[in-house]
Amino acid sequence: MIAVDGVDLDLLPGEIHALVGENGAGKSTLANIAFGAVKPDDGTIETNGTVGLVHQHFELVGRLRVWQNIMLGREPRKGMLVDVDGARSRVAELAERNGLAIDPDALVEELPIGVQQRVELMRELEREPSVLLLDEPTAALAPAEIATLFATVVQLAKRGTAILVVTHKLQEVIDYTTRVSVMRHGKIVARYLTTQTSTDEIARAMVGGELPVVAERETTGTQPCLSVRDLTAGVDTTTVSDLSFEVSAGEIVGIAGVEGNGQTALADAIAGMIPYTGTIELDGSTDALRHRENIGIVPQDRHHEGLVLNWSIVENAILGRQNLPGIRKGMLTDWNAARADAEAIIERFDVRAASPDVAVRTLSGGNQQKLLVGRALLGDPRFVLAYQPTRGIDVGAAALVQSRLIESRNRGCAILLISFELDEILALADRILVMFRGKVTGSFSGAEIDRGKIGRLMAGLT
Amino acid sequence: MSTGVSLMLTLLFLTLIKSVPIVYAALGGVISERAGVVNIGLEGMMTAGAFSAVVFTNLTGSPIVGLIAGVFFGAVLGFVLGFAATFFKVDQIVAGVGINLVALGGAAYGLVLIFNQPGASPQVTQLAPGQLLPQITTGETAMIVLGLLCAFGLNWFIYRTPWGLRIQACGENPRAVTDAGLNPLRLRLYSVIASGALAGLGGAFLSICEVNLYSDGMTAGRGFIALAAVIFGRWTPWGATGAAVFFGFFEALQYVLQGRISWLPSDAMQALPYLAALFAIAGLVGRVRAPAADGVPY
Repeated sequence: MIAVDGVDLDLLPGEIHALVGENGAGKSTLANIAFGAVKPDDGTIETNGTVGLVHQHFELVGRLRVWQNIMLGREPRKGMLVDVDGARSRVAELAERNGLAIDPDALVEELPIGVQQRVELMRELEREPSVLLLDEPTAALAPAEIATLFATVVQLAKRGTAILVVTHKLQEVIDYTTRVSVMRHGKIVARYLTTQTSTDEIARAMVGGELPVVAERETTGTQPCLSVRDLTAGVDTTTVSDLSFEVSAGEIVGIAGVEGNGQTALADAIAGMIPYTGTIELDGSTDALRHRENIGIVPQDRHHEGLVLNWSIVENAILGRQNLPGIRKGMLTDWNAARADAEAIIERFDVRAASPDVAVRTLSGGNQQKLLVGRALLGDPRFVLAYQPTRGIDVGAAALVQSRLIESRNRGCAILLISFELDEILALADRILVMFRGKVTGSFSGAEIDRGKIGRLMAGLT
Repeated sequence: MSTGVSLMLTLLFLTLIKSVPIVYAALGGVISERAGVVNIGLEGMMTAGAFSAVVFTNLTGSPIVGLIAGVFFGAVLGFVLGFAATFFKVDQIVAGVGINLVALGGAAYGLVLIFNQPGASPQVTQLAPGQLLPQITTGETAMIVLGLLCAFGLNWFIYRTPWGLRIQACGENPRAVTDAGLNPLRLRLYSVIASGALAGLGGAFLSICEVNLYSDGMTAGRGFIALAAVIFGRWTPWGATGAAVFFGFFEALQYVLQGRISWLPSDAMQALPYLAALFAIAGLVGRVRAPAADGVPY
């Protein structure tokens, strides 16, 4: 398979160049080729200096200190020992020059994600690269942290570093970059000067046509369906405490927050996977939540919690639903009914597969995700828990999944949407709750919804 | 001297002696695991050290040469495990178990091949058998001091030198090491070779310092006890040393109690150090954290 095919790209000193494209378009591969981590089969890379790469998932050593991470491999020495004072002052100097606040002695694993990324960035800057590649640098950051990051990047560019930002967040492209290259199927299909383009134009180039339309929301009732009261659950890194909220029938409630602020504990408690205190009720009953026909769940991690990759689509379509009256016949499984369910999902969610009997492993990530959401929405459950329902799928498939969620809502389903993409929450939710460190720190609905305010709350600011 | 006091002294000296081989092997375990390789083969490397020490002492008449041979052949097995676990990406546990089996079988076969007698070797020259203290030989004293120096040196190496920092990073996140322009596989290989050398030294102590011959199975699971000491000592050199002495104490206690408690069969008493290891580790479950990339091939 060819990920990157005949690409020409020039990076000029002092420019911030955006490389955008859908998942699987070849952006990250191109960045890794430029960095030297992947060898191209054909073609050349030329630079007038060194190349630094800030990874999407940072490559740091959590149990070492900031200065140890930054100076690893280039430790200043005093005889046979590491010159600790020298290393510390080198880090302090770097921080000062780039306007980055950092404590050289902090343990990396104890730092917030945004600061960890600063460490990764400084590690690259220590080598004074003439080209800096940033691979989806804002994927895990809150809006305020994104602004801080780009302030540094803009400064670097001003001093003459050539910068390439791989991203799929188009607003950032417009706000901070100077040129844009759009990739599709391994080729660069469009190039723009940022000042002469728009998010719409870039998005159309990414998709290669018109953008899919998301379903309209209709007016629905406000009868409470799911109610959570004084919920406390979770351990260590993911906890929620004294959480109370309701989701009405025909309503999508979005949980906005940066990853790691208790979303997983909330989802696991509702799904009955971890013990909790407080009450979670469906239509006024705790029992109803444990009846499989009443709820649909899109788990966070489709590979570990959602699907059995070596099983067929038919088998996966009834996974967790195997005891429902329509599926189970006495001691046996009604495979005809299972097949009918699988075919219904394939049709409604446009799951592209050779047949319902192929192993789920052979499907692309996007099609696996569509299958997962399709299964959760099958049979119109009373309540659906959707954790990152469009995780890792491209714009077209995401629009389809979002449309199906809205259609279910219109039919009276209560939906709790947990997503780390604020845009997705803004697009889908009737009401938005902001979660920070396991607590709801804000609630917005209708006209109150304010992107800036939500962003600040997500970062823990008020 | 009253019997009570002399018994306590015996227990003290025995604890020191019984701790030595575990300390060396545990220090070997620390350096290997800090680099990210679980060295299940410690037991086999001790066996290799014990057997080769006897062979070379017998050959040259010099237990010093035997000691060096023990270190060398321990390191050779370290190289085999290190190479398999890094460049060949063999499962570390499988490779380690393989080394244990090969070493045990190889030594048993070697006894027949070299000495023409199964089960145990003939007696060889012991390392400095003169009595320095009433119950402890000069050789043993030297090995105790050397063990402490090794713990001190390893601690210094891991926490103060650039190479130690890199090895720590290797055990936590080898990708970060690659990004720093270094080769984590090579760092791991060197660490496992050092691990084997230390385990080999511990094995050599058993055969030519504590006694003066090799017998089949004489390492008796000390490599595994050392692995437990690594965990009990939280992957630090001094912690592992302390844990090794703790387990050595129970082994010594077992000797002292034998014949004094009539109702308890001696077989049950011999299980004492292993039980101590079992309970120590069970009590730590969920409270200690291994290096993040420990045991994960890269």
